[in-house]
Amino acid sequence: METVNLIVAGVGGQGSVLGAHIIADAAVRAGLNARVGDTYGAAQRGGKVASHVRIGPDVESPLVPEKGAVAVLGLELLEGLRNVVKYLKAGGIAVISTYEFPPIDASLADLQYPKREEVEEVVRAIASKAFFLDLIQMAKEAGNVRTANVVGIGTLYGLGVLPFDLEYLEEAIKENVPRGTEEVNLRALRIGMEAVR
Amino acid sequence: MMVRIWEDAPGKRVFMLGNEAIARGAVEAGVQVAASYPGTPASEIMENLAEAAKHLGFYAQWSINETVAFNVAVGAAITGARAMASMKNAGLNWIMDMLMTVDYTGVRGGLVLAVGDDPDAHYSSNEQDTRIAGEYALIPVLEPSTVHEAKEMTKKAFEISEAVELPVQVRSCTRISHASGDVVLGEIRRERNPVGFNKHYKLPYRWDVYGPPGPVEKHKWLFSTLPKQKELSEESEFNWLDIVDGSDIAVVGSGIGWAYAKDALKEMGLWDRVSKLKVGFVHPAPEGKLERILRSSSKVLFVEEGLPFVERKAYELAKDVAPDVEIYGKLRNQVIEPWGELNLERVSAAISRVAGIEIKAEDPAAEARKKGERLIIPRSSMLCPGCQHLGTYWALKTALARFGGKVPIINGDIGCYEQGGYGVSGRKIEPNEELTKKYVALAPYEMLDTLHIMGSGIGLAQGEYHAGYREGKIVAVSGDSTFFHAVMPSLLNAVYNKANILYIIMDNDWVAMTGHQPSPSTGLTATGQVYTKANIYKVVKSLGVKFVEVVDPYDIKGTTEVLQRALQWEDGPAVVIAKRECALQVFRRYRKERKPVKTYRVVEDKCIGCKLCVYLGCPAVWWKPEKKKAVIDPIQCVGCSMCAQVCPVNAIVPEEEGYVFGLPIGEPPKLLKEGE
Repeated sequence: METVNLIVAGVGGQGSVLGAHIIADAAVRAGLNARVGDTYGAAQRGGKVASHVRIGPDVESPLVPEKGAVAVLGLELLEGLRNVVKYLKAGGIAVISTYEFPPIDASLADLQYPKREEVEEVVRAIASKAFFLDLIQMAKEAGNVRTANVVGIGTLYGLGVLPFDLEYLEEAIKENVPRGTEEVNLRALRIGMEAVR
Repeated sequence: MMVRIWEDAPGKRVFMLGNEAIARGAVEAGVQVAASYPGTPASEIMENLAEAAKHLGFYAQWSINETVAFNVAVGAAITGARAMASMKNAGLNWIMDMLMTVDYTGVRGGLVLAVGDDPDAHYSSNEQDTRIAGEYALIPVLEPSTVHEAKEMTKKAFEISEAVELPVQVRSCTRISHASGDVVLGEIRRERNPVGFNKHYKLPYRWDVYGPPGPVEKHKWLFSTLPKQKELSEESEFNWLDIVDGSDIAVVGSGIGWAYAKDALKEMGLWDRVSKLKVGFVHPAPEGKLERILRSSSKVLFVEEGLPFVERKAYELAKDVAPDVEIYGKLRNQVIEPWGELNLERVSAAISRVAGIEIKAEDPAAEARKKGERLIIPRSSMLCPGCQHLGTYWALKTALARFGGKVPIINGDIGCYEQGGYGVSGRKIEPNEELTKKYVALAPYEMLDTLHIMGSGIGLAQGEYHAGYREGKIVAVSGDSTFFHAVMPSLLNAVYNKANILYIIMDNDWVAMTGHQPSPSTGLTATGQVYTKANIYKVVKSLGVKFVEVVDPYDIKGTTEVLQRALQWEDGPAVVIAKRECALQVFRRYRKERKPVKTYRVVEDKCIGCKLCVYLGCPAVWWKPEKKKAVIDPIQCVGCSMCAQVCPVNAIVPEEEGYVFGLPIGEPPKLLKEGE
């Protein structure tokens, strides 16, 4: 088995770090080695966040090399684009939320937040499969707007990116999400899996 | 945080954060006293230890600052207990005085100093490599390469400390502390070192550096431990040598550098073809193993996170043992720059240069990536939606404008509010004095003029004042935890030496930036005991400050008025305490109680597009350039009302439903002058 490199990216407060940890925790439960390297700034909320997930039989260091990820999950449009351009292997898989959270640079430095069509065009030219989904709406359907991260994990699982059985993922979700939200998160997982069928 | 930190399940494989693993190592070693001050990337060590302490019955505390934390740990170790102090890179600078002295007297119980370095300065004001501090103090330094090893090393560090009777440093870094990996749990030591006191333990006046025979003799004692330290390093399981016959190239990796080197060599198909040395016991370095690797090959590459630490040692040795070897790394034959952090690409590139191999890099998506790069815009750091500091900064801006003067100086400090000095990455600034004179602080992210370390702002303000700067008012800001950590002596200095400055304490009850650890103003300890909140107002009064006012930063008008009065004050420092609990914490409680807050929205017809609400700097308030109107993101909005307060045409209104979180417009704030 080759090392599986993934990026889970978003904006501080969206749960991308937890999402990455759930994936890696599931891999360890399945008997694999896993590493997560989180990259975020000093801010509590609103900063750019990218978690590097590496899964394999023999993986040591925690950072995904540039152009080395088989899949990128972006919980926000601009952050999805940023990480696809830097980390997604040509021909990899991209799942990107259509949620747009403009940075202060758009408001205060008059920079143009990238247009959705242009983002799609670039991402589709790099990825072999690209999904642009309203993960927040899907999370609401699951019953909690804060489960968008787990919906995203569901799409990765549905696309066959994650190299372990569903039971490990469900176990990792139940162990890692806040108590009392296990059921809604498992629903979110299913909704994500269904969306990419 | 889960049971795994104190779970008694030897052999179980779990997935852990690096800091959690360091804490687990201490738990497995039977730590008896642990102390720390929050600082990224080291805070989770104590968060986990505090949790374990509740279950296993040892002692853990958040201290006022790192110096206090380290002294608490040293005191415990003098009585024979196993103790640990943990801190970030910058925190170590605070303990240097004690570190450089406690190495003369040593310890009885194992004392471990866990330090989280931050190469690439993700959350720090510098990239310092603290292994130098361990070398400076002549104490053992261990450097983990993986999360699992971080646990093993921390555990072992207690034994090493007891063997040489010195503190032992475990040097972590962001990519260990804030990385996660699989860890195999070990047994938890149940026995506790007996606690006692022996004034003349092994040496006369053992714990009194001046006690006869005095500091020089105690310095000599420190040197006497070196042979044992070297022996432990040479035999350490954390150092691993593999000489490959016929190889002309060798790679030496220390700490996380080893992890990258290992992955890179494997990916390049070189793993079985080159000699290698992993160094985990980095000070004193294993000279015998280093000597063998230097003799084994004609080219040796050193891969280290931070400074060329082991590499420097290799130069020192090579002169005698392998004068012709070519040493590559971060020094003379520089193949990796000594700044920024390592990654697989940088290490692979260095290996390929030394080995003379070309890395193929064809990218069929190169064109699309270039196009993507043109679309991507920066995402500058920002304060949280509804952050009270936005209100304080807005009021300060307004008050300074009304006060007049050419160029005020606002001195920053370390905490969430430091983001007032982060600037906006998307705005290109040319160095220019005219720009300083214009001083148009549109958003809070360009408020701060100086920004360095904990407690620096209030000191700089006094220097600026005493140098005679009078072209504008001199201001300093800090948070409540920083006030306790580093500001109190400096504020007394301002009173004593009469500096007419304005000092604003941005008090939000928590050490918010590092993840809401409690501080004396929270009224909670690390393990959750409730204590009386420290009263900052009374402390400031008692230092002799004559102008002290408490304001609610959500009341922008009221805060502005008080700041205007404070700016006029000419009888020593004026102190304004902008007090309100961190919005994130309050909002969390609302969510737990399932109380939806009354969010705000922009009435589009009323909005005149003046952008004042945008300049407030709240991430929930967005500018729609195509409409030339502001809009509020209902997902982000916490209903603080501050944007509605700055709107000149009342175009921002609350929704009908929900609980009031912010200040209801038109209602005067209820201010408490604590203790009066």
